[in-house]
Amino acid sequence: MFHALVAIKQVPDTTNIRIDPETGNLIRQGVPTILNPYDAHAVAAAVEWKRKLGGMVTVVSMGPPSTVTAIRECIEMGADKGVLISDRKFSGADTLATSYVLAETIRSIHEKEPLSLILFGKQAIDGDTAQVGPGVSVRLDFPLITYAVIIHDVNLEEGYVTVERKTERWNEVIKAPLPALLTCEKEIAEIPYASLPDLIYSLQYEPETWTAESPVLFDVAHIGLKGSPTMVNKVTNPEKHARGEVIQPKDGIEEAIKLAFEKVNAAGIFSSISGGAK
Amino acid sequence: MTRRFWVFIEQEEGKVHPVAWELLGVANKLAADIKDEMASTGEEAVVEGILVGHQVEEIAKEAMQYGAHRVYVVDDAAYKHYLNKPYYTALASLVEKYQPEVFLIGATTLGRDLAGSVATKLGTGLTADCTQLEMGEPKGSTKKLLLATRPAFGGNVIATIVCKNHRPQMASVRPRVFPMPEPNPQAEGEIVREQVFTDNGVINAEIIKIIRNEASSAKVEYADILVAGGRALGGPAGFTMLKELADELGGIVAASRPCVDAGWITYDHQVGQTGKTVRPKLYIAAGISGAIQHKVGMQDSDFILAINRDPDAPIFDVATVGIVGDLFEVIPAMIKEIRAQKEVEHANT
Amino acid sequence: MQTLDNRNGKKISFDVIVIGAGLAGSTAAAIAARNGLKVALIERGQNPGGKNFFGGAVYTHALKEVYPDFWDRKPPLERPVTETGFWFLSKDGLVRMTAQGGHLNNKPEDAYIALRAKFDAWWAEQAQKEGVLIIPKTTVVDFIREPDGKVIGVKTDRPDGDVYAPVTIVCEGVNNLLTQKLGLIDHDLKPNTVALGVKQLISLPAETINARFGLIDKEHGLAVSVMGDVSMGLTGLGFIYTCQDSISIGLGVNLDKLAEHKVRPYEVLQRYLNHPQIAPLVAGGKLMEYGAHLIPEGGWHNMPKLFSDGVMVAGDAATMVNALHWEGTNMAIIAGKAAAETAVAAHKIKDFSSGTLAQYREKLNKRFVLQDLYQYRNLSRFLDTHPEFMDVYPTFINDALGMFMNGFGKPKKQLYRDILRSLTARRPILKAAGDILSFGKTVMGW
Repeated sequence: MFHALVAIKQVPDTTNIRIDPETGNLIRQGVPTILNPYDAHAVAAAVEWKRKLGGMVTVVSMGPPSTVTAIRECIEMGADKGVLISDRKFSGADTLATSYVLAETIRSIHEKEPLSLILFGKQAIDGDTAQVGPGVSVRLDFPLITYAVIIHDVNLEEGYVTVERKTERWNEVIKAPLPALLTCEKEIAEIPYASLPDLIYSLQYEPETWTAESPVLFDVAHIGLKGSPTMVNKVTNPEKHARGEVIQPKDGIEEAIKLAFEKVNAAGIFSSISGGAK
Repeated sequence: MTRRFWVFIEQEEGKVHPVAWELLGVANKLAADIKDEMASTGEEAVVEGILVGHQVEEIAKEAMQYGAHRVYVVDDAAYKHYLNKPYYTALASLVEKYQPEVFLIGATTLGRDLAGSVATKLGTGLTADCTQLEMGEPKGSTKKLLLATRPAFGGNVIATIVCKNHRPQMASVRPRVFPMPEPNPQAEGEIVREQVFTDNGVINAEIIKIIRNEASSAKVEYADILVAGGRALGGPAGFTMLKELADELGGIVAASRPCVDAGWITYDHQVGQTGKTVRPKLYIAAGISGAIQHKVGMQDSDFILAINRDPDAPIFDVATVGIVGDLFEVIPAMIKEIRAQKEVEHANT
Repeated sequence: MQTLDNRNGKKISFDVIVIGAGLAGSTAAAIAARNGLKVALIERGQNPGGKNFFGGAVYTHALKEVYPDFWDRKPPLERPVTETGFWFLSKDGLVRMTAQGGHLNNKPEDAYIALRAKFDAWWAEQAQKEGVLIIPKTTVVDFIREPDGKVIGVKTDRPDGDVYAPVTIVCEGVNNLLTQKLGLIDHDLKPNTVALGVKQLISLPAETINARFGLIDKEHGLAVSVMGDVSMGLTGLGFIYTCQDSISIGLGVNLDKLAEHKVRPYEVLQRYLNHPQIAPLVAGGKLMEYGAHLIPEGGWHNMPKLFSDGVMVAGDAATMVNALHWEGTNMAIIAGKAAAETAVAAHKIKDFSSGTLAQYREKLNKRFVLQDLYQYRNLSRFLDTHPEFMDVYPTFINDALGMFMNGFGKPKKQLYRDILRSLTARRPILKAAGDILSFGKTVMGW
């Protein structure tokens, strides 16, 4: 049976963050949290294949209790089950500790209900490290395919998946045995507009909640701060650059452009702007 | 005692990714950072490259020119094309053998696929997309460690990360964040051939097809002149206009993230925190507001010329020169002006 | 909370469907659920309140009617209205006519300034506590009707999106497309019956607000209607509301006037904010929000039929707004309540035809809602045809008072002649007298 698992994260909407102009600090209050956009597309892909092949989609997330909102969004998209792994002991986790928790969770689920595919979004928009997916694949020793843009085929009888991934220079089509782990680009699937029954079901859905002890007993040496080789030494605000010259074209655009080009030439970038770069 | 500063020399189809050379430059700087510390202990700092591939001897030699004292080479037909597990297995095994202190990997698509896997296999810490690297004393320590600085929270804060007790201290760095060192054609070094690691189970996937893009990839990172467009372009047609300007200047078109998300232009043109970092000679930003996530990708350009209708747009804080105006009027006028100047030059030659 | 598992193709049905989780909708849903009915509240926005916007103030009499213990539920309210009245603007002058204390000395106050996104969200939460199922991010696009026209459900924009109920309460807001679809009104919104309200929310420290508006502390707040040179001579009414540490300042202008004079709403607002008497009040503040919303001002003459077989309409969708008194939110709440009570009664006898639902209208007839809408039915048209109330009279008030107060050393007989002339230069005295009388008649509904 097709069983896909998608690891998701609830993140602050970093595209909508404001900086306090006086202190230069992040205004963390009132920043809405959202389902990580790349994870949403991964869920959509998993649900697409479930609808083709039958089977089920499970989503898991390591996070605070409020993560239930993100899980419900996945149920709305068509996922069947949600597991929230939540415990104070997990806090302070870097990517290594996070991949440990997720890998053990996935291992436990895989033992009971074998998985065909494990999907991650390519990166979370708060950390932007893209490290947890690869980390989990190493721990579980499942083949890794990152930057997946198309799932061409999932062959359950013969036990392999064919995935196209995008690199800077070309696209590669990779064939890997199941279970395989994918990290997904947005192109992998479009977010569906949920049916009303799915939406109504998700509004009241309560996920399974796991702690650091049960049903899986996580090794405390590998979770949270203890299990994190990296730690933050310092946090600062990005430097403010000295403002350059701003031309308001009162005398017309042509004048403004001539002025701007003069400065470009003066900076020695071209012999002349029409002459091409030096 | 030798303290090794390692750099992964990324290559594909026999072509090196320039980020490897940039990282050799950084590694040498890091080695220099701990010189005084080592004066008393009699230790030695070396910068070494790790090269995995097939028939890559020439690349190993070139690495010396860019600052590698030694290159470890894993050379086999099995490594001809990058695959995740064969590569991370090779790297992890070599790390266990030689115990480097610091390991740097370029944050390219390949590098990001690889680095997280290597770090997890070794159970060590990895800081991604670093914009600054130095050996320094973290809080509560008198020994110098790798201080890896990177943007976080979508680029809204800068965090410095340290990996105190685990080795190697790993960091990935995006291309063009650090300058290309000057090659020294006289430089010499040692090439060490290592065993290959292709036992059963290591090759767990296969590449069945490579689809090359017809349009040559933008190579936005290494262009000298970029003409970038933002949300205000309103659609793909705006980029046609920018390309006209780029063509006149001998440059390439680039874009901010919202344009790529909207599908107006492909991701390889994206500049910014989740796109490319660029440092061209001239960066023209048309209709880009200058949000921090974009700024961090282009703020080190030599000359930034910004065009925006809003005089309060943050892009003007980082622009060398800014023009307050409608890009749909300014860009065509710029094209006209350049063509006019070219005519004058032609007339005079 | 009601549990439903309709994922396996069963029909989705409820006892009552309410469309729109604004003030009317959340009220209707809450009251119906409280009386034991299964209620679905369908909201097109991401969250309730996300699409609502106003000046403005909510009136505690209405809140109390729905939740007598509303204070204990910690409503998110800004300052109480402890000072209120009218300001008259001339080109560069201002006359204030406000009241404090006296009839306004109640605990709690009768009116509280509020911000809709927060308030509507809280109001909807209270409905959820009664057991209402709020279905967000879903738009009702049509009705399911029996051959004789009776409404037995709604179609939404989602796949498998039909919802059934014997009675539906439409609280869709000012853009009443569904009400039109039902045939309860035979035309779309007419530009001369709709005002565009635009405003800015400007943040300032509470102490600064206190100092500038003469308020003792954060427990004191100002709500004023600003008449006169507010809207570039177009029929319009301005407002100022002091929130905890921000000022909500804006105005409403009829859409047809904006179009006729080819004026952009932002321009009108800017001019108002730049008025020499207004600008210092908001100087140095930070713009936090800028937005606009339509206000239905057509009143009695443009009201749709309020009910039909299986369906009722409440709130802005039914043009329940009395602009002169800034009453709309309380009308919506009272109407929502009345509609819910009617739905409950209908369920008791299992009859959802117009005959039964007529109770809804009867309830509103007995309250200020329909009584006032009827009484003020001609006010909109009156102000349209008497532009003097927008410029001449407010300017005159400024002139008159200004001259009177500044007549030091001037022979008073001459002073009064000058004052009179400042009026008659603009409007003959008989006409002015006639205007005042007509205004009185219109306001009384005669």
